[in-house]
Amino acid sequence: MKWIPYGPGAVMLHFADKLGEKAFLRCQTILAELEQHPPYGLLEVVPAFTRILLEFDRNLVPDALAIIPHLEAQLKAAAKVKLPRMPVKEVSVIYDGPDLERVAELNRLTVPEVCRRHAATTYKVYMLGFSPGFPYLGDLDRRLHTPRLPVPRPRIPEGSVAIGGEHTGIYTIESPGGWNIIGRILEPIYDPSRGSALSGEEAMFLLRPGDRVKFVPVRDRRASA
Amino acid sequence: MKLQIVELHDCGLGVSIQDTGRHGWRKFGVPVSGSMDDHAADWANRLLGNGPEAPVLELLLQGAKLEMLEDAWIAVTGADANCNVATWRAVRATKGDVIQFSRSVSGVWTYIAVEGGFECARFLGSASMFARGKLGFPCATGSILERTHGERFKLQSGVAGRFTPMNERRNYDSPLTLKMWRGPQWDLFTENDRGAFFSQQWTVSPDSDRVGYRLSGTPLTADSTQIISEPVRVGSVQIPEGGSPIVIMRDGPPVGGYPKLGIIDPTDISWLAQCRPGRTLKFQPAE
Repeated sequence: MKWIPYGPGAVMLHFADKLGEKAFLRCQTILAELEQHPPYGLLEVVPAFTRILLEFDRNLVPDALAIIPHLEAQLKAAAKVKLPRMPVKEVSVIYDGPDLERVAELNRLTVPEVCRRHAATTYKVYMLGFSPGFPYLGDLDRRLHTPRLPVPRPRIPEGSVAIGGEHTGIYTIESPGGWNIIGRILEPIYDPSRGSALSGEEAMFLLRPGDRVKFVPVRDRRASA
Repeated sequence: MKLQIVELHDCGLGVSIQDTGRHGWRKFGVPVSGSMDDHAADWANRLLGNGPEAPVLELLLQGAKLEMLEDAWIAVTGADANCNVATWRAVRATKGDVIQFSRSVSGVWTYIAVEGGFECARFLGSASMFARGKLGFPCATGSILERTHGERFKLQSGVAGRFTPMNERRNYDSPLTLKMWRGPQWDLFTENDRGAFFSQQWTVSPDSDRVGYRLSGTPLTADSTQIISEPVRVGSVQIPEGGSPIVIMRDGPPVGGYPKLGIIDPTDISWLAQCRPGRTLKFQPAE
């Protein structure tokens, strides 16, 4: 564990060097511990692949760095969580993105091979971020790893399926972005009209960390009509 | 019963409802949002005895026009947009009054609070508008806003008025130096780059919005190291490829892969928020 200063009232915990299954489990263990026994003054926790941000109420905890020894002791003693095997959620996709050729060329594959390989993997949601409900999915077939575009696009349509480095993901809202767009999903995975304060507003996010996801290619009916 | 208080006749360059932000949902990828200038928004509420979390109207630059639908106390703070209502004080408005923000004079964001606060649906616990994420009530021409059923504001008897003290009213054109703390990637930058960052004047670029403020100047030479995507706090000074800083503002993504040289002291973010494109500013180390 390494603690990184990140401005007043906050500290960032570096809990893994490499992303992957082990880091994910470690992250879930830390999150569970912080949720069940929240340290005094903790306001919000933001998890990512290898680091977790802890933000405190600055009136209650003026110097977050001062409580690191306490946090470290608590997290070291935390019981490891066991995650249930999550069901596979299927997401229908049409592979017709503008960067299919680029992904194929850079990886010396044909376009149909790119699509086949992308749909063959059962992915795991490592984290949500970037935009509401945007899933960072791994582990992507090594032959599909593709660097981000040299110049990000100013506008990527909602529902775009894309590859960025060693991850694949889904743009949940229209936004700028530099990932390679290979397709689009048919049903939104982020829908603010789903769920309510009463029933649980997290229902607006279809995918959650730990979920398993499979892309199911469909033919574009409009194209064949 | 609905307590209709204001009708929007014109949104000008932009009107949105904001509060202190949407907390606890960044792990779902939802930005904090909330008032860009929390200092001015807070004063608008304080002048009327509202709680700090009461929703306010946030206006961008100029052009907004609204009509009072009842007699009520209001307060206008923040950027000077040549408003026909006295600012930084509680004002008793009368039904039929038309409030206009005709011309941006200084600053960027103006705030309007009404007594009791605007009545507004909460999305993920907050009334703050996050337009791209379709969270919040979208204000449009013709929108009618309501106030809460709270107790009505009253000036204490014998008190002439309620004003923001002079030292709390801000001049958004005054020379600006922002305090910056070290960010998670401070060590990735060379001594030269850090020196150049603090010694030069940066100019706020027109390409700035609620997501981030871009700064132009002599770019840093930072090599384009991509880091593993990690949490990003509001106020972070990111240095993307090209070396020109982007300061993450309230609608900025909760995680990102650009190196962060530093983070602006939370109490200084409101100063940056009010910087119009073309304004120059400097940074100084907070430590």
